[in-house]
Amino acid sequence: MTDLVRDASGPKLARHPQRVSRQAGGAMKLWRTWLPPALFIAPGFLIFLVCIVYPMLQAAQMSLFDWKLVAGATSNFLGFDNYIRAFNDPRFWLALSNSGIYMAFTVPPQIILGLGVALLLKDKSPAQPLFRVLYYLPVVTSWVVVSLLFKYLFADRGLINFALDDLLGATDKISWLADRWTALVAICALGVWKGIGWSMMIFLAALQGVPKELEEAAVIDGANRWQRFLAVTVPAIWPATIFVTIMLVIGGFNVFASVLVMTNGGPGGATEVLLTYMYRQAFEFLDFGYGSALAVILTLIVFALSALQLTLFRNPEATPSARRAVR
Amino acid sequence: MSPARSLRLVALAFGALLMVTPFLYMLSTSFKGQQYVLKLPPQFIPDPPTLSNYERILLRGDFGHYFVNSLLVAVTSTALAVLLSAMMAYGFARYRFPGRELLFRLLLLGLMIPAMMLIVPQFLLAKWFGVLDSLPGLIIFYVAGNLALNTFLLRGFFEALPGELDQAMQIDGAGHWRRFWSLALPLARPALATATIFTFLATWDEFAWALTIITTPENQTLPIAIALLLGPKGTQWGLVFAASIIAILPVIAVFLTFQRHFVQGLTAGSVKG
Amino acid sequence: MTIYPTRRGALLSLVAGAALFAALPALAEDVTVTFWGAYGNGGNSTQQDALNSTLIPAFEAAHPGIKIKYVDVPYDSLLQKLTTSAAGGELPDLVRADLGWVPQFADLGVLVALSDAMPDFQTFADATYPGTLATNLYKGKYYGLPLDTNTRVLVVNQAALDQAGVSAPPASFDELKALAEKLKGTDIQVFADGGLGGWNLFPWIWSGGGNVTDAELTKASGYLDSPESVAAVQMLVDLYAAGQIPNLIIGNQGATGTSDGLPSENYATILDGPWMAGIWAEQYPDFTPVYAPVPAGPGGSVSVVGGEDIVLTTASKNQEAALEFIRFTQSEQFQIEMAKTGQMTVIPAFADKQAEILPFLAPFAEQLKTAKSRLAIPGSSKVDGILNAELVPAFEGKVSVQEALTNAAAQIDPLLSGAL
Repeated sequence: MTDLVRDASGPKLARHPQRVSRQAGGAMKLWRTWLPPALFIAPGFLIFLVCIVYPMLQAAQMSLFDWKLVAGATSNFLGFDNYIRAFNDPRFWLALSNSGIYMAFTVPPQIILGLGVALLLKDKSPAQPLFRVLYYLPVVTSWVVVSLLFKYLFADRGLINFALDDLLGATDKISWLADRWTALVAICALGVWKGIGWSMMIFLAALQGVPKELEEAAVIDGANRWQRFLAVTVPAIWPATIFVTIMLVIGGFNVFASVLVMTNGGPGGATEVLLTYMYRQAFEFLDFGYGSALAVILTLIVFALSALQLTLFRNPEATPSARRAVR
Repeated sequence: MSPARSLRLVALAFGALLMVTPFLYMLSTSFKGQQYVLKLPPQFIPDPPTLSNYERILLRGDFGHYFVNSLLVAVTSTALAVLLSAMMAYGFARYRFPGRELLFRLLLLGLMIPAMMLIVPQFLLAKWFGVLDSLPGLIIFYVAGNLALNTFLLRGFFEALPGELDQAMQIDGAGHWRRFWSLALPLARPALATATIFTFLATWDEFAWALTIITTPENQTLPIAIALLLGPKGTQWGLVFAASIIAILPVIAVFLTFQRHFVQGLTAGSVKG
Repeated sequence: MTIYPTRRGALLSLVAGAALFAALPALAEDVTVTFWGAYGNGGNSTQQDALNSTLIPAFEAAHPGIKIKYVDVPYDSLLQKLTTSAAGGELPDLVRADLGWVPQFADLGVLVALSDAMPDFQTFADATYPGTLATNLYKGKYYGLPLDTNTRVLVVNQAALDQAGVSAPPASFDELKALAEKLKGTDIQVFADGGLGGWNLFPWIWSGGGNVTDAELTKASGYLDSPESVAAVQMLVDLYAAGQIPNLIIGNQGATGTSDGLPSENYATILDGPWMAGIWAEQYPDFTPVYAPVPAGPGGSVSVVGGEDIVLTTASKNQEAALEFIRFTQSEQFQIEMAKTGQMTVIPAFADKQAEILPFLAPFAEQLKTAKSRLAIPGSSKVDGILNAELVPAFEGKVSVQEALTNAAAQIDPLLSGAL
């Protein structure tokens, strides 16, 4: 994660010579190095430490116990038993694979379609603001509302079946939400539909940073549209792509409300995802120890994936223009 | 108009239709009586149209009151979260100090943990602070919950601001705060608009935390009021959608107000660098 | 002109003085009892209105110094809110809890045992239906009193029966199967239900002569998978395979719900509770539901007890006042006023009066006489998940019913040990 930021902006720091370095050393230097950033960072970071990090540590601690909800009751220390239990729990693996499938099938379409729309909308035109709002509309609506809407669309007597039946002549009514795979199709469709606008906005912004002179130079060199896209556009939007990918992967693994509303994990638990499973363990069965263990596992998976993406995608030498673009 | 241009417009219009159709259907359903909601073939134009869903929401209960609560909480949280994140982002972007990347990594870890598992510890914390069942209790944790993403977002912008102006101001004797307040913030205003849209949206829609700490009906927010319309015994879609349409309006208003800055915000760095 | 400020000022001080006068004794004595529930959900607020505008004012008038503050919580989120509040020691005085939650929260130690705290508990307990009262029993003590009860009966769309050429609702398993035969070729399905949890399944198992556990709640194996239980579920699976039960029952959230499908003539029969009458009257004014007993099998016609209990939490600082309100909930006034909104009384002595007010409740009251309650154990929330997970493959024809119920019973057994 950090590398991403450094990559995208690293060179600028070099342009700011350390103003304090010429001053007297020792304690004074330390004071001068620490104090200004501390004053800027401390207020927000203190709130973050107290309200997020401290609860995070408590959640991690819960995962090592057969945690009793009510204060005063003795919780048994289990060590890593909750983690071992997850490893041997087929329902956990099913939920994990469903979350993984959702992530795998929603992240690429959101990136590709978001980029596609952004490319179409890149140039200034009178209609651009209107389209921008229309494509962004799904993003601003709450998950619960759009999930209800999609549940309704994919209902047996919903709009999708009506369209398939009447317009395409498919006579067999599909019970979209009754089967693991078709239900995942519906849930993924919602994820993509809702997410296109978000990645579109970021790509739109990144595209306006594509250096004009490079584009023109490529035209002079006789590069065709596709070659220009690969040689000029892709490097320029590379950091934005990494940012979008990482945020979408985090979001993909955290899919929750849409599943809860559209299938409630059914039928028979077949569409349970990691977060709905975790929610049930904690808030229905009051097994907060196990629920917290699942949360920690999820966090570690997302963290590892982000690190992996950065290693795979990072290619600083090949993308000098990328740095320029975001500078 | 060139053929390529027309083709592009057709493609865009088709996509926009896909984006908007569900909304139009939702809008249309909000004007239907329950007995017409599941009619086959589906009605696109309500027949007969009815305002009863809107009437029931607007005339019954304290929908207006919840609306004001939501607005108050969302506006305050957004202002505080954006200010504090901007300061943090500036601190991370403009200064080098030992442990900087470690702190930043910790911040990003906060994006990855499922918020749901923090609810019980946060509830105990809110109790200790004495802010249960109050709007400040919502605001504090909404601010905390939105710091990480905003700081991540804004850091890049501050790093992208030209250093020359900053140095010039420093030579003029401007202190750290003045350089932040009078130089960096105005230059990053478009980026702040982006953060504002994200944060407003997140705080306006938040349900789980509000449900957890708010008990008194007078302190409830809009998402809870809408959840109260979802019954266990057959949901009244017309009613739910009418309430949702009303709830979406302010979010669209905020988006429209800030969207011009939105694109500029994300690209400002490239222009000025 | 100058008169106005003076007059207004005088008026203000008069009002302020009166307010102060009124407020003084209030400050000294008033206690507020907070009461959480999910009365007013789904946009249907008749129950909440009865509570807030009739019953609470009546109670407060009769008990000066006690204020009751009712808080409506979204139905789907009440359990989550109770859970976090229990963790923080922030529960309200009183909760209208689903009867399945009482053992779970009693086990956490956040509920006051009413059988200890109320000297007159036995008087109230004796007045209620024994089956409903039993849902409050945990480890030999009673942690609540029944607040309202209900049960499921067969609800029928007569127009759908007419299409099959059948005049009366199916009274037995055989008549249900016969009705399914006659509905073949129409687009009407004979029966629909929204899941495979205990609420949905147990009426069929009990009516089929089967059982879920032994009487002492110590074992499910040998009961839930007995030949009688298997046969009852097998009947549903057969109807499902014949296309006569929609896949709503295996958890297809996209299927038309029973509350819409019955009046729309998609489904001929459903099992449902008394609350639907009001909803249909509003949403489907042309539809007249017909109520009949659960179709009888070898075990007779046995339905499942539903409803809510009122419980007192250990967090309450006003236990005496709260107990006073609990007593009020057992009064004829409270029970009859709620009966008017479709919440059935828990006290058999009021049943006749209830039937006078709402004649359609009579079949429900009749069904309640034999209705049984689900498992009163802390792990009861897991039972529904187990049943659903094991039985969905059986309905899909992937495993046998026998196999599914044997597996489910084996998973329920450990939840039972040490429950009582």
